[in-house]
Amino acid sequence: MIFFSLSGNRPERPVQPPDTIAETVSGRDEGRIVLDEVTVRADRAGNIRMMSAQNVVRVDRSFLDDHFSGSLMQSLEHIPGVRAVSISAGQSRPSIRGMGFHRMVVTENGIRHEGQQWGEDHGLEIDRFSVDEATVVKGPASLLHGPEAIGGVILLRNSYIPATRAEGSFRVYGGSAGRPAGLSGRAGGRTGRWYYVMSVTCTDYADGRVPADSIQYYSYYIRLKGGRLRNTAGRERNAGFVLGFEKEDFHSRLLISGVYSQTGFFADAHGLEVRLSDIDYDSSSRDIDLPRHTVSHFKLINNTVRRFGRVSWETNIAFQKNLRKEFSEPVSHGYMPVPPDTQERLFDKETFSATTLIGMPVRERISLQAGLSAEHQVNRRGGWGFVIPDFRTTGAGVFVHGRIHVSDDLIISAGVRADRLRTHIRSYRDWYATPDEDGLPVYRERATALQKAFRSITWSAGLNRRYGPWTLNVNIGKSFRAPAPKELGADGVNYHIFRYEKGDSGLKAEESFQLDAGFGWQNGVLTVRWEPFINYFPNYIYMNPTPEYLEGLQMYRHAQAGVIRFGFESDFRLQLTRRLSLGMQSEYLYAEQLSGDRRGYTLPFSPPPAAGFGIEYRPGRGLWGESGDILLEYRVTGSQHRIVPPEERTEGYQLLNLSLGCSRRMRGFGMNLRLQAHNLLNRRYYDHTGFYRLIDVPEPGRNISALLGLSF
Amino acid sequence: MIRKTILCTVAVLLLLSCGGSGDYDMEKPAIDMSGASAFPLTCDTVYRGESFTFGALFTDNRELGNYNIEIHNNFDHHSHSTDNTPCAPDERKAPVNPFIYNRDFRIPAGTVSLEVRNSIPVPEDVDTGDYHFMIRLTDRAGWQQLKAVSIKVRERETGAGVRLVSPDGAAKALSASERDGDGSVM
Repeated sequence: MIFFSLSGNRPERPVQPPDTIAETVSGRDEGRIVLDEVTVRADRAGNIRMMSAQNVVRVDRSFLDDHFSGSLMQSLEHIPGVRAVSISAGQSRPSIRGMGFHRMVVTENGIRHEGQQWGEDHGLEIDRFSVDEATVVKGPASLLHGPEAIGGVILLRNSYIPATRAEGSFRVYGGSAGRPAGLSGRAGGRTGRWYYVMSVTCTDYADGRVPADSIQYYSYYIRLKGGRLRNTAGRERNAGFVLGFEKEDFHSRLLISGVYSQTGFFADAHGLEVRLSDIDYDSSSRDIDLPRHTVSHFKLINNTVRRFGRVSWETNIAFQKNLRKEFSEPVSHGYMPVPPDTQERLFDKETFSATTLIGMPVRERISLQAGLSAEHQVNRRGGWGFVIPDFRTTGAGVFVHGRIHVSDDLIISAGVRADRLRTHIRSYRDWYATPDEDGLPVYRERATALQKAFRSITWSAGLNRRYGPWTLNVNIGKSFRAPAPKELGADGVNYHIFRYEKGDSGLKAEESFQLDAGFGWQNGVLTVRWEPFINYFPNYIYMNPTPEYLEGLQMYRHAQAGVIRFGFESDFRLQLTRRLSLGMQSEYLYAEQLSGDRRGYTLPFSPPPAAGFGIEYRPGRGLWGESGDILLEYRVTGSQHRIVPPEERTEGYQLLNLSLGCSRRMRGFGMNLRLQAHNLLNRRYYDHTGFYRLIDVPEPGRNISALLGLSF
Repeated sequence: MIRKTILCTVAVLLLLSCGGSGDYDMEKPAIDMSGASAFPLTCDTVYRGESFTFGALFTDNRELGNYNIEIHNNFDHHSHSTDNTPCAPDERKAPVNPFIYNRDFRIPAGTVSLEVRNSIPVPEDVDTGDYHFMIRLTDRAGWQQLKAVSIKVRERETGAGVRLVSPDGAAKALSASERDGDGSVM
């Protein structure tokens, strides 16, 4: 029950599933509770299963450390249903059950993270060492999280609050494959009701290494020196500051963070065009030449929670600025002459957001939560390449969600939300002239000015049932998203993927209906979870490759089609002895387009079925320090032969991973060490959903890495 | 109740999985440049002021879509040809009046195999040097096949002597003419 008592008090969970309602907040006698303890217990208790009708997985910092990886999303990949699409050794973007881009939402401290979600080569700009807790909600979550939360939501939080006047921690890590090196430090303190936290992270990584000496793409043939993916090195510099004030019935904090990263793109193929350059990429594996991109993301957030008796009121206000620049060697193409500089693209996005939430008990067994959210976005573009026009979007939503505790073992919940979204797209014309039908030079208009408004009513209903060792949760919900400006207004060459993309201003808001269930059974030894879902889109927005050519490139048109998707995740754990346990996790997804040109085909980037088998040994006290563990994992990923143009069939693969950890505590110092070996057998394999899959670049080979954490 | 629900869910999922196998095209079209009339091949030369004939065999398992021929200069040596053995490039230079050719061709509906012959004129005043000859072919389902060929645009030698009008220097042009020496072109 500790979990419940926290929720009303801490501003860092403003968009909590509505189940954590104020009525349970009582008997709290102290303002501060260390969150790590809480989150770990919650899953075990089974109470967490009763908190939401949706399939929710919550992990804490120790999980992220135990599964540390090149990027945060790669760590979260250990949750069935979550996948990371890696753009480089240190950058990746997430997908939940095959839904990525703007069909899922990532929030940080209650505020929707606004980067360039739509792009294939855009990672998530978040300092992974600052994240203390991650919650994954699988399934439609538009009710609480607004538009785009179709596939699910990843909620990230910096929930650390210092307990003493001065304390801190350090993390150092390094690895073999991309030779990454990182250092992260955090210091904080508390005096009375005030507290502060400062954090800094620096990471560097070299060119990625793959178990291959050459790559073949169509009939292009690219040799790799030492198996190195030329120019895929990168670096990241992050800093954050938190200032908080906390008393009995009031908690407010201000978070300021900046994330800066610079990453090279694979030199021999920028996007999908194979290129040969004069740059001596092989001279150093750590330098970052062209093509490359830099991203800086600045965030200012205020979280405030007030409490009036049994009513809690939260507000979250934020400003974000995401500035992304992409540089490449200027090259002429078609009628475009050689551009004057290397800045191919620039995206400058500013987002203002505000949400407010009220939670209150209505009667003995009924609780209500209501919320209001608003967001305003301004997007500007630059550079000689064109993919999306300038646009600004304003959206607002209001929702109400109720929960009836019929008994301790049966809870029914339902909610409804209304959203309105307005998009203004500005016209864009080429900076160079193209001859028209009569041979006269014209500056072609690539995006026409457009104003569009979208409205949507979304809803959700669910129940939780507990019966002896069984737990059941069922949820049905509708979610939606407005078409992105690119989908509405694109009309030009995407030089990255070398295709001509044409939007459709008549696109309707995409809607999705999904039925989710979660079945659990557990006793002291065995835990079984099975989470199936079925999902229907009447009008999935899809970029359809046509047989047509325009300006020498294949024409892709944005179209809408009916889509059905279903699948499941499963989790099975057997505690053989106190020290030895076995685990098996699996995921499966099927998707089919029901109408339109692509009838019968699947959806792009459909993840293949996968399963992981693990054996874990925890020797307890002794040689390993206070606690230690050895985990051997065998992962089997199936082949994916159900593809859409222009994808390639991907064969299945098997991986062996090993992880060792231990921790020690001595005189006020805590130390933990984690050693990991990924792809122990150095297999050459392809990730079907990987960024470089289309040009046939395999995934990294054997990678041995270590993370050392010190706290004081 | 929960057990029944699980059974029903499994049954529904199994039913759905069985219904899926559709009849749809999963094969890319093919560009065959192995025939006797296939032209241009890597390092082939075309001459300005003349026309040459693009020749290839296009095939698809179901139905061909359309194709596009594009020629752009490679004076900056920006990319590979599709063959593993690239031909020796000329010196780098800045384009003055580069040859740009970009044309989409329609293939009649229902065609599965097409022997293509297109006459492509090379204007008289374009820059000579390295060019890329790109062939792009789609099928009805939207699959695309690419082929990139490195070619050279040259001035036709008139008479027996090596008289070159191109601005990029006689010595280089001479070595280029040696490479093309056997007159396999056209």
